[in-house]
Amino acid sequence: MIELRNLTFRYERRSDESRARSHPIVDNVSLTIDDGSFVVLAGPNGSGKTTLVRHFNGLLDPDAGRVAVNGRRVSEDVVAARTAVAMTFQDPRDGFVAPTVRADVAFGPVNLGLEREQINQRVQEALAAVQMGGSERQRIDRLSGGEQARVAIAGALAMRPDHLVLDEPFVGLDEPARQSVLERLEALSTEGMGIVVVTHDLRELCDLADRLLVMSDGQIIHDGPPVSVLDQLSGEVYVPC
Amino acid sequence: MTEPSRERTAEDEGNTRGTDVELVGDAVTINVARAALFAALIGAFSYVSFPNPVSPTPVTLQVLGVFLAGIFLGPIWGGTACVLYIVAGILGAPVFAGGAAGFGVLVGPTAGYLWSMPVAAFTVGMVVHGGFTPSDPKSNGPIRLVSAMVAGTVLIYATGVIGMMFTLDLALSEAFITGAVVLVPAEVLKIAAAVGIVRSDAITAS
Amino acid sequence: MLTYEPGSSIAHRLDPRSKLAVQIGIALAAFSHTTPRGLSFVTVLTGCILAVAALSPLAALQEIRYALPFLVAGPLLSMIVLRPPWLAPPAAIRPALASYRVLLVLLVSVAYVRTTRVRESRAAIQLVVPGRVGRLLGVGVSLVFRFLPVLIADLSRARVAMRARLGTERRLIDRMRIVATTGVRRAFGRADRLGTALRARCFAWNPTLPTLQLAPRDVPFLLLAVALITWSFV
Repeated sequence: MIELRNLTFRYERRSDESRARSHPIVDNVSLTIDDGSFVVLAGPNGSGKTTLVRHFNGLLDPDAGRVAVNGRRVSEDVVAARTAVAMTFQDPRDGFVAPTVRADVAFGPVNLGLEREQINQRVQEALAAVQMGGSERQRIDRLSGGEQARVAIAGALAMRPDHLVLDEPFVGLDEPARQSVLERLEALSTEGMGIVVVTHDLRELCDLADRLLVMSDGQIIHDGPPVSVLDQLSGEVYVPC
Repeated sequence: MTEPSRERTAEDEGNTRGTDVELVGDAVTINVARAALFAALIGAFSYVSFPNPVSPTPVTLQVLGVFLAGIFLGPIWGGTACVLYIVAGILGAPVFAGGAAGFGVLVGPTAGYLWSMPVAAFTVGMVVHGGFTPSDPKSNGPIRLVSAMVAGTVLIYATGVIGMMFTLDLALSEAFITGAVVLVPAEVLKIAAAVGIVRSDAITAS
Repeated sequence: MLTYEPGSSIAHRLDPRSKLAVQIGIALAAFSHTTPRGLSFVTVLTGCILAVAALSPLAALQEIRYALPFLVAGPLLSMIVLRPPWLAPPAAIRPALASYRVLLVLLVSVAYVRTTRVRESRAAIQLVVPGRVGRLLGVGVSLVFRFLPVLIADLSRARVAMRARLGTERRLIDRMRIVATTGVRRAFGRADRLGTALRARCFAWNPTLPTLQLAPRDVPFLLLAVALITWSFV
C-alpha cells in the first residue's frame, strides 16, 4: 500500500529562499493506493504526474508531507520502498544497464544481494511474465521497441514488487507494441499485481483500470472509477477513451 | 574501501526485505552514469572522422572527448570516465581508434596516448575548475580553458611519443614524426571547437 | 569492428581470468625477450593460441589493420639517415623486432576479445578488483558496452542532419563543434535518465558477486601464464 499525506514538492532548481515561495509542482496531495489496484494517472503535460509518482519510491524527497509504503516511511527505508514499488520510465532505452537482456533484468536482484539461483529464477519468471522467455542472451539494441518496453517491465518485475509504476509506457510505441504491453499489464493485474500507469493516452486503459486519477496544476482534481470520472470530465477536458 | 558487514545491518534494521543493501548515494550514482556515458562518448568519437587539413590520416575526436570529460565532469569523474573507456576497451568494447579493442592496445603503438588519457582529463579538470569540485565551466574565461587544453594536449602527445619510442623502439625524432607532427595541428582546431562548445548555451550541466 | 563472436572453440570455454593471465604473460615475454630467438618462440605460442581460439591468422590480422601503418612506419623511418647513402637497413632491425612483438601481442588480444563474453569479462573484473572500485568498474564497463552503439547512432544522426542542411559547407571547426555538442548533450541527457533508473533499481555497493569457476582445462593455460611471466624476469 502506498500512502501520501499532504505531499508538496516545489521546482528543484531554485535556491532555498525562492524555493519556499515558488509555485509547487505537487501541491498538498493526499492519496492512498491499495495493493492490487490498477490505477491510471492522467493529466496534461506539466501537471505533476511524473513528479508525484517519483515520490512513491523515494526518487524525489518531498518538501512537505510524508510518503509511506506498506506502512513504513520511504525516507526510513528506501530499499524497501524501491523493492515494493518498481518503476519503468519513459523511453526505456536509457534505463538499460547492460548490453544483454539477462544481465539487465538481473540488475535489480543482484543489487539486492540475492543468491545466484534466486536471481536466475527471478529473471526467468520476469521474462516469462512479459512473454520474453528465451530472450536472455539477446542484445537489447537488436530488440524492437515493444520488446524493449517489455524487457524494461521485466527488469522492474524482477524486484518482485507489490506495485509496478509505469511512466508514459506507450510513448514511441506503434499499435501492435502498445497492444502487447497492454495485454501484459492486464495479465499482471489479474494475478494481483498493483499497477499505476502514468499517461496522457487513455485508450483502452479505462476498461482495465479500476481507478482513474486526473491531475492538474499539481493537484488531483478527479479520483474515482474511470466511467464516473470520465462523466464528470465530459465537456471539461477531452479525454479519448 | 570497507565493506560493512551485512549481518550487522540486517540485525539493526530487523526488516526482512532488502535492508542489508548498501545503496550507492544519489550524487555518486549520477556521476557513475555520467562517467560511463562520457566513456562511451569518447569511444563513439573514434567513429567520426574528419579530413585532416595537413595529412591524409583522418582526424577523430577522441582527444576532444577526453578534454570535454575533464571540463564537464571535473578532474575526478572526468578521469574516471577515461579509466572506464580504457578498461572497457581492454575487455573488448570496440572503442579504440578504428574500432579496435583488446589488451594488446595497451602495449601497442598508441599505448602512450591511452595511458595518458585519465591523467589528461584529470589535469584539464583541475585547471578549469581550480580544484577537485566541478564548477560551471562557462564561468571560467577562455584563457583558462585554452591553457587547460594546451596542457592536456602536451601531456597526451608527450606520453604518446614516449610510448612509441618504447613500444616500437624508435628514436625521439622518428617517434615525433610518426606520432605527433601530423596530428597536432588538428588539435588546435579541436581546442577551438571545445571552447565553442563550453561557451555556447547548448549544454547546461548541473 | 572487433567484438565477441559466439563459438565452440576451447578458448570460448576458458575462464576469462586464465585468458587475461596468458595475455599478460605473452606481452611480458615479448617485451623482455625481443630477440629473433625469443620472438620465434612467442610466435609459435601465438600460433597455438589463435588455433585454440579457432581463429585464422589472416582474420586476426584483419582485425588489427589499424595498427599496421604504425608498425611498418617505425622501421622504415629508422632506415633513413640524413647523409649518403641515405638508407641504412641494419638500423631498422631493432625497430622491426619491436614492431613485430607488438604485432604478436595484438594478435593474442584479438583471440581474447573474439572468444570472451562481456558478462565474463565484467565478472573477471569484479572478482579481481575488490570492493567499491571493482563494483564501479564492473557496472561502468557494462554501461560502456550498452551505450557505445547508442551514442554512435546519435552522432551519425547528427551528421546526417547536418548534411541535410548543407552543414558540410561549413568550416571544419564548426562541423567538429556541432557533432561534439550533440554528443555531449545526448550523453548528459541519457546519463540523467540512466541515473534515475539506476536509483530506482537499488544500485548498490554490495551486490551478489558474479561467479566464475576455474575448470581443469584452465590449468595448462594458467601454468603457461606463470611460466611466461617467470621467463620474462630471468
